[in-house]
Amino acid sequence: MMRQKRARKIEGSGAKAVKNVISAVLVLYTLIAIYLIGSTVLNSFKTKSELINNTMGWPRSFTLENFRQVIVEDHFLGYLGNSVILVVASVIVLCIVASMLGYALAHYQFKGKALLENYFLLGLMFPIQLGILPLFVMLSRLHLTNTLPGLVLIYAANLSFSTVLFTNFFRGLPGSVLESARIDGANDFQVYIRIVTPISKPVISTVALISFIQIWNDFFMPLVFLTKTRVKTLTLAVYSYSANFLANWNKIFAAITIALIPIVIIYFLFSEQIVDGLTGGAVKG
Amino acid sequence: MKKKKKNRTHLFFIAPGFILYTVFMMIPLAFAFYYSFFDWSGIGPMKFIGLGNFTKLFTSPRVSATFFSALGNNFKYLACVMLIITPIQIFFAYILYIKVRFHKYIRFMLFLPYVISTSIVGFFAIVLFDPNVGALNEIIGNLFGKAHKLAWLGDPNLVFKIFVGVIIWQCIGSGMMIFYANMQEIPEEIVEASVIDGCGEWKRFWRVVLPMLTSSLKTNITLSVIYAMTMFDLPYVLVGPQGGATGKLDFINMVFYRFAFGGTYFGETSIGFGSAISVVMFVIIFILTLVTKKLLKKLDY
Repeated sequence: MMRQKRARKIEGSGAKAVKNVISAVLVLYTLIAIYLIGSTVLNSFKTKSELINNTMGWPRSFTLENFRQVIVEDHFLGYLGNSVILVVASVIVLCIVASMLGYALAHYQFKGKALLENYFLLGLMFPIQLGILPLFVMLSRLHLTNTLPGLVLIYAANLSFSTVLFTNFFRGLPGSVLESARIDGANDFQVYIRIVTPISKPVISTVALISFIQIWNDFFMPLVFLTKTRVKTLTLAVYSYSANFLANWNKIFAAITIALIPIVIIYFLFSEQIVDGLTGGAVKG
Repeated sequence: MKKKKKNRTHLFFIAPGFILYTVFMMIPLAFAFYYSFFDWSGIGPMKFIGLGNFTKLFTSPRVSATFFSALGNNFKYLACVMLIITPIQIFFAYILYIKVRFHKYIRFMLFLPYVISTSIVGFFAIVLFDPNVGALNEIIGNLFGKAHKLAWLGDPNLVFKIFVGVIIWQCIGSGMMIFYANMQEIPEEIVEASVIDGCGEWKRFWRVVLPMLTSSLKTNITLSVIYAMTMFDLPYVLVGPQGGATGKLDFINMVFYRFAFGGTYFGETSIGFGSAISVVMFVIIFILTLVTKKLLKKLDY
């Protein structure tokens, strides 16, 4: 309410025309994204010969042949499966571990807590790319390179940002909720499972969404750790098409469509939460 | 909430995260420093060579030329962030803040590319900028004739500009929303006071809004420094692991990748030397973050 009031006041004092021009320019600018996404999806339904002389227009005939080639001949479902397994497993492990950490940092007092909190913040400043060689040596010795579990461990270990989100959330919880549970005779683990986890659903979904996006889109880690075809992810498969796109000109649009649609749907459904999660946690830092 | 008996339950909650984070995040970071003092290909014995890797990185003519030219690109990009990208983000955030027409739709669409994978964004860039099949050349060819077509990504004078343009398209939304969230937190009284004083929008932006953005500026610059110094995905997707034929899009993380993992393509693989590059990136990020903090602290008072 307050915000709307403020906005109206500002509106009244400004030059309306300038604002409308800016708005119009930005709306035009957003057409780039619509064109790129739209034409990719449309092109995925065109035949190879139509693509050559009609790259920008509406398809004259819809064909699913490109998708058939990509999925059946190029084993795209396998890459899709790898991406899904990787994301789901990493997000689950990350949520469990970071939520427990955040709960402990928010609700217990113990020696060295401030130090521990700062220790977990280091990961925000120094990206794991800097430690990738030792990580590579370590995973090779554990025979975890070219395996999905190896990468799950790396993604789940990158828990600084998620832990901050969980800690901030738990700090905001009223202590009385947890107290009353304890009076009922529940121990700490029961309180965590039965009371803390259910009420932390909003922050769990935020962490899950933003990690989903980051891991689904990640390029560097899979490039380094997943070099064998059977473990490749969608982003790598997409890259291998576009790196050699003249040879795959018809297939690439179908491949991109498959990789793009899940993330766009998720963004359409949860954009507010995704934006808040990616930016809201950052401002407080 | 603390019980009288010595309570160690918090350790149960901390242990899994602590172990995972320490083993797969912090120990690798520390070991990058350790490995940087050795001549080691990853197999066989490790040979301690002191600062030998760093000497080679900074002084060996063949390697250091590549490294410093790449590092120059990292700083060139960082300069673009400070001078072009961040101002655009603040401006767009303000546009949304004063709620221009369609601001909800604009916000939604400006942020959208940020959730799209870089390998797909790189493909979009190819669709537009490819010299042979790109949409831009098709349009130019139809309007002005074939002679006016450009090499785009193949043009050494254009490739960096296209790269920055693509980043603006892809990443403008994240910083913009951080500034926007910060603007929402500006106290009502201050904004209202400026309205009563008859402060125009332009004036209000400079006098009221901009000075309140220190916290989001700090966040954004820190994130940008990390992103700039570890730049990899987009140049790799756009022009390949060499940073393009002329090295105009070569960055230190790509030099690192070639030495660390590109052995089969580039003939030289060294864990020790690669780690030395990581250490240098680490130190640069550390120094730049400290400098940012110091500078913005001055702004605060």
